[in-house]
Amino acid sequence: MQAPNIIPAVDPNPLPAPYWVLKLLLIVTFYLHILAMNFLMGGAVVALAGRWRRGNRAFAVRSFFDVGRKLPSLVAATITLGIAPLLFVQVIYGQYFYTSSIVMAWPWLLLLVMLTMAYYGFYLAASQDEEHLGRAGWIHSVSLLLIVSIGFLFTNNLTLSQTPSRWAAKYFRDPQGWNLNLSEPTLIPRYLHFFTAAVAVGGLFLVLLALKRWKAETEYARYMLQFGGGAFRYATMAQFLVGAWFLVSLPKDKRMLFLGDNPLATTLLLLGIAGALGAIVVVGKALEKDNVRLAAYGGSGLTAFVILCMSVMRDILRDAYLQPYFHPEEFAVKTQWSVFPVFLGLFVAGVIFWLVMMKRYGFFGGAAGSGAK
Amino acid sequence: MNFPVWEVSFGAGLLIALVAILHVFVSHFAVGGGLFLVVTERRARRKGDAAMLGWLKTHSKFFVLVTVVFGAISGVGIWFTIGLIGPTATSNLIHIYVWGWGIEWVFFFLEITSALLYLYGWEKLTPSLHMWYGWIYFVAAYASLVVINGIITFMLTSGSWVDTHRFWNGFFNPTYFPSLVVRTCIAFALAGIYALVTASLQKDAELKGRLVKWSVAWILPPLVLVPFFTWWYIRTIPSELWTSARGAMPTATHFASLAAILSGVTLALALAALVRPAKLRLGFSLVLLLAALVTMGSFEFVREAVRKPYVIQNYLYSNSIYAQTTPGDGGFDVDHINQAGVLQTGRWVETRELTANNQITAGHEIFRVECESCHTLDAYRGLKANLARRQWSRERLAAMLGGLNLMHNGVMPPFAGTDGEREALAAFLSSVGPAPAAQGPADGATVFQRNCSMCHLEQIQDPLFSNLAKEPGAANESLKNLPGLFPLMPDLKLTEEERSALVAWVNARFPNRGAAAGGQ
Repeated sequence: MQAPNIIPAVDPNPLPAPYWVLKLLLIVTFYLHILAMNFLMGGAVVALAGRWRRGNRAFAVRSFFDVGRKLPSLVAATITLGIAPLLFVQVIYGQYFYTSSIVMAWPWLLLLVMLTMAYYGFYLAASQDEEHLGRAGWIHSVSLLLIVSIGFLFTNNLTLSQTPSRWAAKYFRDPQGWNLNLSEPTLIPRYLHFFTAAVAVGGLFLVLLALKRWKAETEYARYMLQFGGGAFRYATMAQFLVGAWFLVSLPKDKRMLFLGDNPLATTLLLLGIAGALGAIVVVGKALEKDNVRLAAYGGSGLTAFVILCMSVMRDILRDAYLQPYFHPEEFAVKTQWSVFPVFLGLFVAGVIFWLVMMKRYGFFGGAAGSGAK
Repeated sequence: MNFPVWEVSFGAGLLIALVAILHVFVSHFAVGGGLFLVVTERRARRKGDAAMLGWLKTHSKFFVLVTVVFGAISGVGIWFTIGLIGPTATSNLIHIYVWGWGIEWVFFFLEITSALLYLYGWEKLTPSLHMWYGWIYFVAAYASLVVINGIITFMLTSGSWVDTHRFWNGFFNPTYFPSLVVRTCIAFALAGIYALVTASLQKDAELKGRLVKWSVAWILPPLVLVPFFTWWYIRTIPSELWTSARGAMPTATHFASLAAILSGVTLALALAALVRPAKLRLGFSLVLLLAALVTMGSFEFVREAVRKPYVIQNYLYSNSIYAQTTPGDGGFDVDHINQAGVLQTGRWVETRELTANNQITAGHEIFRVECESCHTLDAYRGLKANLARRQWSRERLAAMLGGLNLMHNGVMPPFAGTDGEREALAAFLSSVGPAPAAQGPADGATVFQRNCSMCHLEQIQDPLFSNLAKEPGAANESLKNLPGLFPLMPDLKLTEEERSALVAWVNARFPNRGAAAGGQ
């Protein structure tokens, strides 16, 4: 009864640049987005957890607001940085992405309503003063729950986009779009893998804040270093279990890519594991010695590297799932030389100008603004 | 039919409308309001007006909360809704314009950053540095309008892109500049309109008076200029598109009137605010805001309606069928679908073969993949009500479907599919409404209204009135073979009674209509 070929045809327009350029931009912009998202979601988790932490109550409350006041900007960054991969995923994988989105149309669309509520929620929580800790706490919690749910919906859609064989049954059962992808075996472990990573980065967020505050408020900064560093280490250790679960939940042929079949994928997994182990060790040493710089630079550097490896692995996995259907060598390519260089030039100029704007404000230790926020 | 169709009971297009209208209402404020912030700051600082500066600080918080939060998310909302509801068009647009959107995105991230730094930097930064961020914000915001305007106007007037497939031909299309100028005016007017909201909350009456006068100074000049620029905009829209907006097609006409009236109301309210500026109430400013919202929403409805039958002019119809055969179109063009059929060409169709028993099921699927992009059965542009007015038999409905692209001055695409599929669609549509009432004696006006008025206007220069033979016998005879009169007409089999009544009515309606004997 179903069409033998249910994958929508791509439109008649050629790719406006070589495939590898678009792929590179997709992975790089996704990487930036996922870093911002990790700081947002992880920061919000760690801030909330910190409220109930034993030990110095004043510091716990202070760190809750310290992080909380940065969350609205992190939402802005996550959304802004999310737009670019949203564009590039449509350019390359539109046939899959649009279709899976349509199959789960209402949850997909409603996540934006949730995002709006969470965004305003974080602003509202940030505007509370320290006397209204309770109120700030529950507004923050609701917003965090919404963000966590949004992530879950993203995982549903992206896994569905990779498994066209599931589309027709779901769509014809409910063409009104009230579908998810709950029967996908990798859904939960994959989602938890991202979530756990975010918690780890949330810990690093505190460590980075500790670095910033170290000179002026060493006791408080030490608190954040220990708490954040500890959260990072435990989350990263848990990640080995969650990651293993994710690996095991993959179909065998996909799993074997990372265990020897695909050299790049296997190398990246090994590098990722090594980087994560290294980060646990480095941050552990840093905590023993209250060495905030080692924790901050060592931990962040290694984690950034690990997440980059994971972003590429994620892409390899996607292409493996789509391999029966997706053949990028079949794309017609006609580079738009009259506009693509304009974009590149403006992009580079834009990044430089952005750095100038941030520096003049006082980030990176610039002189003009006071810098402290 | 290339992509699955998301069934939204109230009409999927309304979702795009809701998200997009709210977004543009906020995003244009984001542009004009940016200039408002920095110009007002400069003015307040030069005059040493601490009170105004204090208000501006609050207003900038309001600005960020509206534009950075809701404005940004609703913009993403447009991506989501168009991908869900118009994936074929979206796929085309993203492949043609991704670098344009990339450029817009560069400005967007500069815009968001500078907005936040402006907001957080009131106390921290020197005045000149603070305003530097304000200017960056406005330039970046305006640049993003400059970019997105190219892509939006391309959809209405694709210009020479259809022939050359060159980015800049599509971008700098015929309506690019008029649209940019109109939107610039709207942006500045909205800057003042939104400012009235926070101004109205000021307790200090003297300050409120100054703020109201200053805000209205932003509203009046652009609103006065908008009609002139809109006239320029209309003149650059190709006549065949604009013609489809007139006549029996209600959407564009209604919303155009609404836009005109409500922009007048907005202007009047803005002037009224000057009567007692120090006493402006929040309620009044919100009514003004609402009037502006409905004006802008109406303008956008007109723009979208005038675009029909295309979603990308001369290239892609609103139901995602390509107007011409294009290499790489996957067979989703009218000619191919006419030959191979909808049921075979569509990828998201369960009924593949038409049989004697599955006409209604097949017709339902054809309705979903070819008509649901614009029509529901019971809700927005609901066909049940439409068909109940027409009272067509199933056979007549099938014939009418053959002339879809003539209806309402060409506002619809042609039906694409085999004759059997057209009949199946007619079978389905007939089955969803009540059966036509038993026909009473034929009344000419009613015959016209039910069978001719969707393509013919009740005007003396309309071909029906100007070309039909004057002699009743000859006229009646000629109406037996409508495609013989004009090849694209549907082959309606009017009864003898209907023909006689129609001819009598036509002659009575316009007694002085002239025609060569025997018709054309």
